[in-house]
Amino acid sequence: MKTVQLFQIKKWVSIKYNMSSIIRVIKFSLQDIFRNFSLSLMTVMILVLMLLSVNAMVLVRVVTNKATTTIKDQIDVSIYFNNNATPDRVQELTSYIVSFPEITNYTFLSSDEALQQFKSTYGENQKIMDALDQLEENPLGPTIVLKTKEPSDYNKIIDALNVPEYRDTIEARTFEDTQRAIDKIDTITKKVEVFSLSLSIFFALIAFIIIFNTIRVTIFTQRTEINIKKLVGATNWFVRGPYLISSVIYSFVSTCIAIGIIFVAVSSIDPQFAEIFQQSDFLTSFINSSIILLFVSQFAIVLLLTIVSSLLAMRKYLRV
Amino acid sequence: MIKLNNISKKYSKDSVALNDVTLHIEPGEFVSVIGQSGSGKTTLVKLIIAEEHVTGGAIEVGGWNITRLSQKHLPYYRRQIGVIFQDFKLLPKKTVYENVAFALEVAGEKTERIFDIVPKVLDIVGLTHKTHVYPTELSGGEQQRVVIARSLVHRPKILVADEPTGNLDTINTQEIIEILKRINGFGTTVLLVTHNREIVNQLKRRVIAIENGTIISDKKVGKYQI
Repeated sequence: MKTVQLFQIKKWVSIKYNMSSIIRVIKFSLQDIFRNFSLSLMTVMILVLMLLSVNAMVLVRVVTNKATTTIKDQIDVSIYFNNNATPDRVQELTSYIVSFPEITNYTFLSSDEALQQFKSTYGENQKIMDALDQLEENPLGPTIVLKTKEPSDYNKIIDALNVPEYRDTIEARTFEDTQRAIDKIDTITKKVEVFSLSLSIFFALIAFIIIFNTIRVTIFTQRTEINIKKLVGATNWFVRGPYLISSVIYSFVSTCIAIGIIFVAVSSIDPQFAEIFQQSDFLTSFINSSIILLFVSQFAIVLLLTIVSSLLAMRKYLRV
Repeated sequence: MIKLNNISKKYSKDSVALNDVTLHIEPGEFVSVIGQSGSGKTTLVKLIIAEEHVTGGAIEVGGWNITRLSQKHLPYYRRQIGVIFQDFKLLPKKTVYENVAFALEVAGEKTERIFDIVPKVLDIVGLTHKTHVYPTELSGGEQQRVVIARSLVHRPKILVADEPTGNLDTINTQEIIEILKRINGFGTTVLLVTHNREIVNQLKRRVIAIENGTIISDKKVGKYQI
């Protein structure tokens, strides 16, 4: 018997997605979001909560970094030169000290400037002032005040200066008195940094797992509909399309809400830090300066996660 | 129109749903497939709509070999056969109109044509007044009529009905069968899977009986006899 080809499968395959298909996919996505409103709301809420936790950790890191930097900034080391050291020798040694790459800032004080600073520091203490007046000459030699990148860098510089060659030129170093305190601050700040980084990674990991499972649950509740769509003749992409568009909408809305909440929260928290950091809008200015980076990075990560989760969760139900 | 050549379907070593079944259905025929629960009727439907794949033999539908139909070709094949399910399989968050239109939308049909065809098909099944109602607000009979409308909307040459009256009362059952007869009257091949004795006896058309995964009788004008 002659076979009549009633179906034209190959011809149908050649039909590409056109503009109306894309519009339909967007329409179905919006329908799904609004007709499953409670499910959509739950998904957005979970995404917002996760973003808030991640943002909170970002802010904790910003605050701890600022706190440790502020503490480190309080540390400096003064090198006191002998009063009888020749200007050439002082100049030579100063050039040598400031050539260390670890030094971020230094101030050189001549004998007179050092005396002036001493007086302004201890001016209210009459006994010290009287003792100073009894001396005929300026007892203070030139001084150099150093700041380094890290508190541990001070050791390197002090070790380099702690050689017999410089003993007659350098009278004293404040570092020797405060070394223990500096070491402790260095240890504490490093531990705080490691702790806040670990906590951030931990929170991010939890956020990833919850987002992944939220999307899986959302897809699971719609598995029958996916099945029906396939049986009616929808291609895999026609089924996936609305979920991918929904992912974009969920990610955008949740990122907007989370950043909005963080902005409001930061405005109310900022006054608490004003005294510590000597800046009334420390966190607000951080958010303002990083808003685009924060928004784009969080939107991109949530979008990537929701899309990957959707595709993985749907894979099983599309095999019909 | 439908050719099953020595097909077998095994889900596991001990679970054989169909065993060496050969069956030819000509264009325009109205064929009833009968059998008890677990006889292999639904597996037969699943193989024809490519929801399952055979483990032996070959299937040809409309001149195309669908034995190993690829995922790429599958949607295009399904758009050319109409399927009616016992459990309706309607999209619960879409209205009657949207459920019927969906079958055309997935096929990339133009919007104007959808606006034109869907009301006509809904008129054929008598659901013009329920166009914007959700499936959950319809009776079983009405839901099944929506399914029929959806399966007819792209003018299929074959209509496969798997226990379409399984969840319906006598009046609704009669209405559905009348619609199927009308569809067959337009030249569409109808494959009706049922275990409703009255329907089969009343139709007086070709009857194929399946038992334990094999065809035990095939009569041009048959009655319900197992």
